[in-house]
Order: sequence, then C-alpha cells, then structure tokens
Amino acid sequence: MSRRHARDAGVAADALLDIGSLRRYTECNSAMPMAKRPHIRKFLSAVRARRRGLIEIGEFLLFAAIAAVVVAIGTNNLQYNWQWFRVPRYLFTTGPDGLRAGVLLQGLVVTIQISGLGLVLAAFFGLVTALFRLSRSFTANAVAQIYLEAVRNTPLLIQLFLIYFVVAPIVGLSPFWSAVLALSLFEGAYASEIMRGAIVSIPRHQWESCHSLGLTSTDTYRFVVLPQAIRRILPPLTGQAVSLVKDSALVSTIAIYDLTMAGSATVSNTFLTFEIWFTVAAIYLLLNGVLSLLSHLLERRFEVVT
Amino acid sequence: MSRRIPVEPDHIISVRGITKNYPGGIQAIREITMDVHRREVVCVIGPSGSGKSTFLRCLNGLEQIDAGTIIVDGIPLDGNRRHRDEIRREVGMVFQSFNLFPHMTVRRNICLAQKRVRGKSDEEAFAVTHALLRRVGIEEKTDAFPSQLSGGQQQRVAIARALAMNPKVMLFDEATSALDPEMIGEVLAVMRDLALEGMTMVVVTHEMGFAREVADRIVFMDEGVIVEEGEADEFFDAPREERTKAFLSKIL
Repeated sequence: MSRRHARDAGVAADALLDIGSLRRYTECNSAMPMAKRPHIRKFLSAVRARRRGLIEIGEFLLFAAIAAVVVAIGTNNLQYNWQWFRVPRYLFTTGPDGLRAGVLLQGLVVTIQISGLGLVLAAFFGLVTALFRLSRSFTANAVAQIYLEAVRNTPLLIQLFLIYFVVAPIVGLSPFWSAVLALSLFEGAYASEIMRGAIVSIPRHQWESCHSLGLTSTDTYRFVVLPQAIRRILPPLTGQAVSLVKDSALVSTIAIYDLTMAGSATVSNTFLTFEIWFTVAAIYLLLNGVLSLLSHLLERRFEVVT
Repeated sequence: MSRRIPVEPDHIISVRGITKNYPGGIQAIREITMDVHRREVVCVIGPSGSGKSTFLRCLNGLEQIDAGTIIVDGIPLDGNRRHRDEIRREVGMVFQSFNLFPHMTVRRNICLAQKRVRGKSDEEAFAVTHALLRRVGIEEKTDAFPSQLSGGQQQRVAIARALAMNPKVMLFDEATSALDPEMIGEVLAVMRDLALEGMTMVVVTHEMGFAREVADRIVFMDEGVIVEEGEADEFFDAPREERTKAFLSKIL
C-alpha cells in the first residue's frame, strides 16, 4: 500500500470509526509492537526531543563557560583591562547635529561600496569569461584560459599591488577603483567556473529546441539558458560574495579607509586591541549574514514552478 | 534571401547521398538519397539504431553531415550559418522528450520564437498562440507551466510551438515514444489533422497504424541506409525486401 493510500485510509478510519475500532484497525493493519503504536511513539519522541534539547543547551553552556575561562585567564595573564564602554563612540557619536557614524561605520560603508561594486563587476567578468570559454572562438578561449590561470595561481595581494602600483598610474585609476577592479577580477575568475558549470548543466535538448525554432545563440542564452542557469548559480555565488567581502579587507594595504583599515587605525589610537577587533569581526559576520539571507530570498524568487 | 538552387519545384526537401559518421568511425547513416514533395507525408520507420532519428536531425542541421547535400526549399544546408538559420525558420521540429522551456508558461513558450525570430508584436503572437492552443485542444492551459501538464499536453504544446513559426515542413522525431499509452491517441490526432490540412511532414515513428493511415509514403531504414520505400498500403501488404519482411513480421 502506498503512503498516500495509507494516509487516506487513516483519515477515513478517524472519521468513521470510534477509537476502539481505530485501534483494532491499527493493530491488524500495522503489525507493530505495542511500544511502536502511533500515540505512544509520539509521546516517546517528544520526551526524547526534550531530553535532546536539554543536552544541547548544556553542551552549549559548557562550551561557553570554557571559552570564557580561557579568555579570562588570557586577559588576566596579559593584564588586559577591558574597556568596552569606550567602543561605541567609534561606531557612532551623538552630537548637536544628531547621530553621526563613527570611524568604524564609515569604514563599513567603504567596505560595502567596494564589495558591492566588486560583486557586480565580478559577476560581469565571470559571465563573460564563462561565455568565452564556451564559445568556439580560439581567441576567446585563449583569453579566458590565460585570465583564469593567471588570476587563480597568483596571490590576491600581489594582484592588488600590481593594479595599484603598475596599472593604476598608467591608466589613471583612483585607489578606490583599483581595489574594486582587483577584487572583481579575482572573484570573477572563480565566479566564471561556477557559471560555466551551471550553463553546461542545462540539458542539450533545450539548445536543440531553440535551434529548431530558429532562435539565435544570443537569444537562446538570454531567454532560455541563463534564466534556468541563474537558479543553479546563486547558491555557490553567495559563497563567492562572502569571500569577496572578506577579501576586501586586503584593500587596507593600499591606503583605502575600509572597515579593516578603520579598525587598525582605531586600535593604534586607543590600544583597545581586543574590543575593536572583536567588534570589527562581529560587523563582518553580520554583513555576511545579511548577504546569505538576501541570496536565500533571491533563490526563492527564481524558483521554477514544479 | 539567399540564392535559391533550382531543384524540381515540387521538391521541398532534396537529399543527395548524405553520410553521417559518429566519432569512433561508426556510420550512423550512409549515402541516403531521398526527396520530399510539397504536401507529402513521409513516415520513416525501422528498428532502433537504424539511423532514422539521425537522418531527421540532419534535415534541419541539428546534426552535421559528413558528405552529400541537403537542399530545403531551394536553400542549401551547407556550412553557411545564414542558410542554416533560414532553413530552421522554415522547418518545425517536435522531439520525443517535448523539450519545452520549463521556466516559461505555455503562452511564453509559444510566443518566444514568434517575437524574437519573426518579429511579431505581443498582440499578434498572442492571437496566433491562442488560435493554435485551441486547435490542439488545450487553450485552458495558456498560463500553466510545462511541469503542470501531462505528457500528451506537453507534446501538443510543443507541436503548437513549432506551428507558431508557420513552417513549411514539420519534422516529428518519435513524438509519441515517451508518452503513456492513453496519451498517444491525442497527439496522433493532432498530427493526423495536420496531415489532412496539407502540411508537409517527415515523421519518424513506431506507430505503424498511424503510418499506414496517414503516410503518403513509407521509408524503411536499417543500419543507416534506406532499405525500401513505397506507398503505404503497398509497403505494408507487399514488402519486397527480406529485411523489411523480417521487421514487419516482428512488429505487426
């Protein structure tokens, strides 16, 4: 009997029979031992779930306690003087003209700008590279391949320096745009592999339908292949976006006042080493959390009706 | 418009000695020569692996041929991409696995090529789409997605999608092979109507009853060659070749 039938039968039994005959029905049809009967099983699993929940809470508290002790011992040994009350003014200040962003939040804005622009450009570079690699043109293939190998086999920091110190003076690029360009070229290389994978995963017969209708390759990509590929691209691309946000910390090395740079400067001004770096880490964590949430919403938006 | 090649004016498809090799040296089809007349219905039958689907897919350039010539409506199907695209606009194709676009509604499936290839406006494309859906008997499914339709309904949408381009020839590649038995009839009925209206059709099929009833001519293929061809009744009642007799005795 299929599950569906079994459920229907159960519903029917509930509606038509009294409890006694329902029990007889269950007994003769399920051949289950007493302890496995539905209501008993439900109760047992509830008890088990509650016990499991208590264990989880206990484990977590134990872990938190150990972590707290370790930090406490560490700071004690370092003679560290926690001064959390001094942190908020670096996040925001209240003055006669209302609420104003502190250095850390100003840095965060720069980080978000660089990451946002970097993400858009990375998606563009990724898509172009993916299409180049899928094209039949030898030149396009070669360009894409060289780009991929060069970017993936050199450190991002070196790429950043090359663009900032070599390319930027030649073409007159500002430090900000050097940073955006370096990050997007780097992440674009990885994004292109994700996109290429998603594009080739679209079944061949989708192409054939389009060909047989006389659609051009451009139209086939635009209306049929890419819309279906996007759904497969989004989840892994979120990972890339998160990487991009984290890697953007490197731009502090070329004198851009991003979140990391702001943190670093604040630490040297105030010696609040622990407090500021914990705060900076928490801000990055929050930013990436929001990013993951956004991608989850987008994913739902692109879901194909099934 | 490209230069048209003078062929017998009555021949819409003219195939001369085409050969197609698969990698590994396997010959899918060998030296096939055949003509299709305007308004003719040709059914291609044969055992699986005989190359009949490959042959059909060569006719609109989904497979590249290694030797021979194909001329469709006066346009040669050579290496020239313009020629190939022009032929594809005039030749509709229906696949075994329907191949609808899963992320589009039925209406958008049918409108897409009309708008992008034929340059029709929304209103024109909608009008054609509704007329065609009525014709294949599923106008109530206009806004459904393919996955919400039965196999038979999907295949009828696929036929409507091909017809929306107003093709001069329709190719059917085992259009009913992937369907549940109870849905084969509704698709065959649509194909039969199409044949009666005078559409030129090349149909690869395993449905012998349909072939006998609808086809003007039967082509029997085996091992990549045309073994025998002839008028439908004659072909089924009095096959000449031994291989044809053996095939027919197995399936009838």
